[in-house]
Amino acid sequence: MNLARQSGLIAAKDLRIEVRGRYALGAVLPFAATVLLAFGLSLGPDRTLLQRTAPGLLWLAVLFASILSFRRAYESEGEDGALEGLLLAPIDKAAVFLGKAVAVLAQLLVFEAAVLLLVTGLFGLSLGASPLTLAAAFVLGSAGLAAVGSMFGLLAESPRAREAIFPLLVLPLTTPALIAGVKATSLAAAGRGASAGGWLGLLLAFDVVLVAAGTLVFGQLLED
Amino acid sequence: MASRTTDAPSIASHPDGVAPEPAIALSGLTRVFGVVPAVVRVDLRIEQGEVVLLRGPNGAGKSTLLRVVVTALSPTYGGGSVLGFDLVRERDQIRRRTEILGHRTRLYEDLTGRENLRFTCSIHGIDLRGVDETLERVGLGDAARERVRAYSHGMRQRVAVARAILRQPDVLLLDEPYAGLDAEGKDLIDSVIVDAAREDRTVVLATHDAARGSMAGRTLFMDGGRLLPVLDGPARAGEGRA
Amino acid sequence: MVAAERVLGKLGARRGERVLAALAAAGVLATAILGLVVTPPDADEGNVFRLIYIHVPSAWLAYLSFLVVFACSVTYLVTKRTRWDRLAAASAEVGVIFIFLTLVVGSIWAKPTWGTWWTWDPRLTTTAVLFLVYVGYLAVRRLPDSPGRRARWSAVIGIVAFVDVPIVHLSVVWWRSQHQAPAILHVAPRMAASMASTLVVGVIAFTFLYAYLVVLRLRVGRLEERLLAEALSPRLEVAPSEQAVPPEEVAARG
Repeated sequence: MNLARQSGLIAAKDLRIEVRGRYALGAVLPFAATVLLAFGLSLGPDRTLLQRTAPGLLWLAVLFASILSFRRAYESEGEDGALEGLLLAPIDKAAVFLGKAVAVLAQLLVFEAAVLLLVTGLFGLSLGASPLTLAAAFVLGSAGLAAVGSMFGLLAESPRAREAIFPLLVLPLTTPALIAGVKATSLAAAGRGASAGGWLGLLLAFDVVLVAAGTLVFGQLLED
Repeated sequence: MASRTTDAPSIASHPDGVAPEPAIALSGLTRVFGVVPAVVRVDLRIEQGEVVLLRGPNGAGKSTLLRVVVTALSPTYGGGSVLGFDLVRERDQIRRRTEILGHRTRLYEDLTGRENLRFTCSIHGIDLRGVDETLERVGLGDAARERVRAYSHGMRQRVAVARAILRQPDVLLLDEPYAGLDAEGKDLIDSVIVDAAREDRTVVLATHDAARGSMAGRTLFMDGGRLLPVLDGPARAGEGRA
Repeated sequence: MVAAERVLGKLGARRGERVLAALAAAGVLATAILGLVVTPPDADEGNVFRLIYIHVPSAWLAYLSFLVVFACSVTYLVTKRTRWDRLAAASAEVGVIFIFLTLVVGSIWAKPTWGTWWTWDPRLTTTAVLFLVYVGYLAVRRLPDSPGRRARWSAVIGIVAFVDVPIVHLSVVWWRSQHQAPAILHVAPRMAASMASTLVVGVIAFTFLYAYLVVLRLRVGRLEERLLAEALSPRLEVAPSEQAVPPEEVAARG
């Protein structure tokens, strides 16, 4: 069984758990909506200000969503010690990294679709201007967040001081994805999607580097 | 019946064909958690096909010892081998051939018993066709399609037993398997042990339960992380080589 | 100098440590004198500019220590020899001091120069990101874990952060270039010769300081391990010296 198939099994398992538990729907989305509403209220009614800050706030919400989702993903492994079952299985441990990354990425994309609609309404962000660039920005950016989150989300498997370090590591390490994501989103919303090429390229490079790194070292993290 | 997909022979043999590898051989095995030594300098040899009883008070280190043998934990000092495979260097080989039934049942709360079992089988490369039959055998036929979150401890243990049956490990380790089970559940565990013994597989059973373990060939005692000098149990009817 | 050596000797410092300490002390003193007295104040910024003699060497050390952490992390994962983990940890602990110093001095410098405590200058921003990563690294080392597990986790963070930070820097540079001309904290072409050479002295001095602190930290680490081994010894019935080598390392060697 190759790495792709093993990752697929784990991703499928994670997605099934998510659909059952409806954590994303029940907890993450309301949380993000609250955050965005709060920001909208505190920034005041100035339309142009809201439009300018919208991309940044959007990605902040995505960052929070990724942290919450990975925490939940690894928590489900910790509840009954299921992670040990994965450790003791004759699979490539990188499959756990990749499988979970793919599962959360799927959740993030659904989340983003919902949140984008919200933000269009609240902040007056126009989405139709450069839809391809917008989509690319979100897919590539979320993939970067997923790579970092899948690696260090492992810290959240056990609820102790351990899990507080996860968000601490995620922010600095995902900085390029956040910056590039926000820039590309702004450009896309302003209808200047064509000039976002550099940012998208940066996102792609970031994704490749982080996924490669994670695939290589994840096995080391899982062992005790 | 579930089919095994591994090509390795059931009994690992010495390359010269002189003598089969011991099921478990430990030398000076020590496991420390921070400043607390849980297992201290354990030297141990268990031959293939033996059924060994491991007794000792709470905190004696039985669980830790078993977890090191199954490679869930790595040794702090010392080492050993399982079926001839090194504990540190050849973990994957050991993992293919061993299974532990312990405190934690390693299940996903939001999946059903059946889904949990099917997932485990798929990552271990075990044919999925045996899953439903095995669930019936352990008495979970009806409950199999409910989420594990709703299961009692006894029901979870049954899923774990089903897992052990499907995996057919060469070395089966049981860590207080009877805890929280009714008489029927306990008998189920015993039937698994007896089946394993009959198929010449190695079993190590750690339990407090004085009424159980009669099928064991010999008894080992642990206390304070150490293995106490071996006391061969009185000769018992049935399996077990001393 | 002789008195300082005698004091260090009494503290149990070995020969090499004392030499390093002396070099570091001399270097820092020289930098201070050159920086405060010998060099002229900057044409535009005045005496505030003198902060550069701390800022640049600290920044250099911050990144040097990071490079050392990376190299040791890779070496550790490959060889599993604990000495590399020890060196990585020591370098991280010393490095975080220099990173913090860089940020603080940079901030103090920014206030009179640009009227704001913080500027999203690419170098400062990247240093801030690095600081957070280091904090995470050190926090992970403090978690209760087996030494092997701690070492592996630290090594992974060290490696992933190292490949990530250049991308961070690039993204901030691009980001800033779209808003304004990048804030240049070091104005190389305008520097008088004495300023440039003082910077060089500063960098060398701080490097000695870093080396000394790392060596010191390694010694403390050895003492910690010895203490732990002696605490365990009666229970394990193994002499402390025999507790040296973990099985992973033995396996990797053999």
